[in-house]
Amino acid sequence: MTRKEFLRTVAGTGAAACLSEIAAVAQTPGKPKLGVTVYSYGRDFHNGTMTLEKAIADISDMGAEGVEILGEAHIPNYPNPPASFVKQWFDLMARYNTKPAAYDTFVDTMFYHSRNLTTDEAAARLAVDFKLANQLGIKALRQQWPPYPADNKEDEINAPYVKSKLAMETIMKALPMAEKYDVRMGIELHSPTQLKSAFIDSILEVIAKTKTQHFGFCPDLSAFTRTPQRSTKTRLVQQGARENIVDYIISAYQQRLGPEKTVAEVKRMGGNEVELNFAGIAGIYHSSNNDPKDLLPLVPYCYHVHGKFYEITDDLHEYSIPYEEVLPVLVQGGYNGYIDSEFEGNVPGASTSGAIRAQQALMRKILGMA
Amino acid sequence: MFPQPSGVQNNILDRGFKNIRVNGQITGFRVLVKSSYYRGIYVPLIDSIEVEVDGEKFGPGQVQCGFNGKNYEQSELEKLDTVRWQWGEPATLTVRKPGGLKPGWHNVTITSKERISYMPTIPTVRRYSAKLALVR
Repeated sequence: MTRKEFLRTVAGTGAAACLSEIAAVAQTPGKPKLGVTVYSYGRDFHNGTMTLEKAIADISDMGAEGVEILGEAHIPNYPNPPASFVKQWFDLMARYNTKPAAYDTFVDTMFYHSRNLTTDEAAARLAVDFKLANQLGIKALRQQWPPYPADNKEDEINAPYVKSKLAMETIMKALPMAEKYDVRMGIELHSPTQLKSAFIDSILEVIAKTKTQHFGFCPDLSAFTRTPQRSTKTRLVQQGARENIVDYIISAYQQRLGPEKTVAEVKRMGGNEVELNFAGIAGIYHSSNNDPKDLLPLVPYCYHVHGKFYEITDDLHEYSIPYEEVLPVLVQGGYNGYIDSEFEGNVPGASTSGAIRAQQALMRKILGMA
Repeated sequence: MFPQPSGVQNNILDRGFKNIRVNGQITGFRVLVKSSYYRGIYVPLIDSIEVEVDGEKFGPGQVQCGFNGKNYEQSELEKLDTVRWQWGEPATLTVRKPGGLKPGWHNVTITSKERISYMPTIPTVRRYSAKLALVR
């Protein structure tokens, strides 16, 4: 069903009403708040130079307000933290003048070797995280869309961001628990998410039907990747790709040619294995190049935003992601939640903290924050 | 997940690398490994962990895995649905090898296969290598 057809259906009537509310919301521009996910410091934790307190101190020092954690990494003895941890968490928030912003959840559908989790088991495991988030004063979840098989086999190329009966069943079973613990499930829209898709429409349909305030979206700015990271071309050439073919693949991606046609064209050009791999879904099409304007209708249902970034250049731009186009859409749509820095790249010569600070400076500049 | 400076790795630990003695007999050796993944996992997600030392391979049946102070056979892992390989914590691998390893340098490779449900390829294969010195 296309979006247009959907809006003509009974379920769509609610969505149409919601869409008209967007116009009202959009009359008041949003004022996003800035935060950082502790995940960004992963490399430093791994090297033994970072702790939760040091990360929070650093986030505070750069003038960001929100702190996001990943329960399975940052909660000691997850999922059974010592009783002292909750007090320690709020003490840290007070000491560094920061606020709990978001909590990241996962659904390990392939938990057992011999079978998938049932949707009851998946929902029960999510409830454990909802309760922990609630104890830590966190209202927004960066929730992974349960990675169950797609209803439509052709959708699998966008997995796990696919329309899936089992994934939706899990969410519906988890919803009463999200309400009980007052946490909003923001489904992560990471690359290769397609914003115009049956996947997104299936979620909008349920939001319209239920009018829930506890199930929506968490866009990850990787969904707006215009061009691969700067280091990609060098790496591919080292592996045996030819520069002109790599350039062709990048331009095909930018023109949204799609994986099948790009692979066919590279084959025709006599592409080698490295080039063919880069031309397909395991390569460049693991990224997605959505039009930032397509985010606008979703903004009223966005409970959190992951400010994914790879490299901030010397002239203060994100090398791969058009922040200057995406952030204004959030403002226009009336977004008042957090945009949390999520560093997943490498800036030659820079520390993790330095890389995050450069991206915070970029976001402040775009948002007109002093 | 997090690239390290060349020649430096933080996955296989220097500490804990030693032969195991039971009643004066060396029954095998022990090595500690931290995952490069960015979160901890429940141990049923582990498909297998294998160890290779100087070209000698030790399969899942020869490698016990220890989490939070308890050792398990790999065949037991699927049932342990409340046990976790916590983030940043090493797993203690106990390898059966009567006579153990000779004191001195060894090239150690550890391969861990985990089912990370959202990844395009299942299982995710992580391979860590290090040059470690065994004292005794």
